Amino acid sequence: MRGLVTVLLAVITGMFCSFVTYLPFIGDVNSAPNQHVTPVYIERSVQDTGSPNIVTGLLADYRGFDTMWETTVMFLAGLTVVMLLSSSTMGRRPEKEDEDA
Amino acid sequence: MQIYLIEAILLVFLIVTTISVIFCKDILCAAVIYSAFSFCAVLLYLMMGAPDVAFTEAVIGTISTIYFVASLKKIDRWCK
Amino acid sequence: MKKPFGGIVLDTAFRIIVPFTLIYGVYVLIFGEAGPGGGFQAGALLSIGVVLSRLIMGDHASFNISVKNSLVLAGVGTFIYAATGWLAMLNGGNFLDYSYLPFKAEHTNELHALGILFIEIGVTICVMMTIINILDAVVERGDENGSAK
Repeated sequence: MRGLVTVLLAVITGMFCSFVTYLPFIGDVNSAPNQHVTPVYIERSVQDTGSPNIVTGLLADYRGFDTMWETTVMFLAGLTVVMLLSSSTMGRRPEKEDEDA
Repeated sequence: MQIYLIEAILLVFLIVTTISVIFCKDILCAAVIYSAFSFCAVLLYLMMGAPDVAFTEAVIGTISTIYFVASLKKIDRWCK
Repeated sequence: MKKPFGGIVLDTAFRIIVPFTLIYGVYVLIFGEAGPGGGFQAGALLSIGVVLSRLIMGDHASFNISVKNSLVLAGVGTFIYAATGWLAMLNGGNFLDYSYLPFKAEHTNELHALGILFIEIGVTICVMMTIINILDAVVERGDENGSAK
């Protein structure tokens, strides 16, 4: 079993190392992600969104709905941490009511 | 060519810091090495042309180090 | 935090570092439209000021935001974001369509810049208060376990 896992890991690492050479270079104009929608954003983002930073314009304007739920997820994460880790007496009924009941 | 050399050095350093975080016995030492890992990632992001992501990574690396050190202070385990 | 990090070195360094951090956070928030930065980074930078002051000075820190207030303010930050969307919706546009914000401007892209500023203020408040929250939860848990009340 252990030998099989090792062989499998070696094969996967070899495939990763050999296929990584087929990736496009950084900033390659002819690669697939830079072909369809990216030139439109680069051309029109300043006149559409009024912000010179394309990343901000994209995150806050074109993809504003995504960012809203991202913020909500962050708020929920903080809420969950507080609920899990806050002191165990917080929000529990006082001892007297327990004695009455 | 030189930029690839710097990137390769940074990537090797990234892998070395990751492995040493895993195998480090001292918790405070692991937290400090983790901040070194985060700084290395910042430089790599900058090299790939994403200053926004690099900025986020720098700030979050600082805050997570503060968290780790504060938790260590709370549980009184400075060293093993 | 009952047992703060103390010492003359930390106190002096804290007095110099924290005002610059806060000013830099506000700068990142305002300048985020034109350069690298934005709501998330600004919130994290602003929270570093509060977190550092609480860690170093303990309970009698100058800016102290209690757990309840920070939880409520995190919700308020998320609400500001959604309220910007609703403001555009009430004025006749789609949700989060900043061209329909009810302010006067010559071009629509000025309205878009204003809307981006609003939602970034919301994100900033949410992130800042969430980070303060998590630190509070961790520190309070330690207080409870470390010393029997």
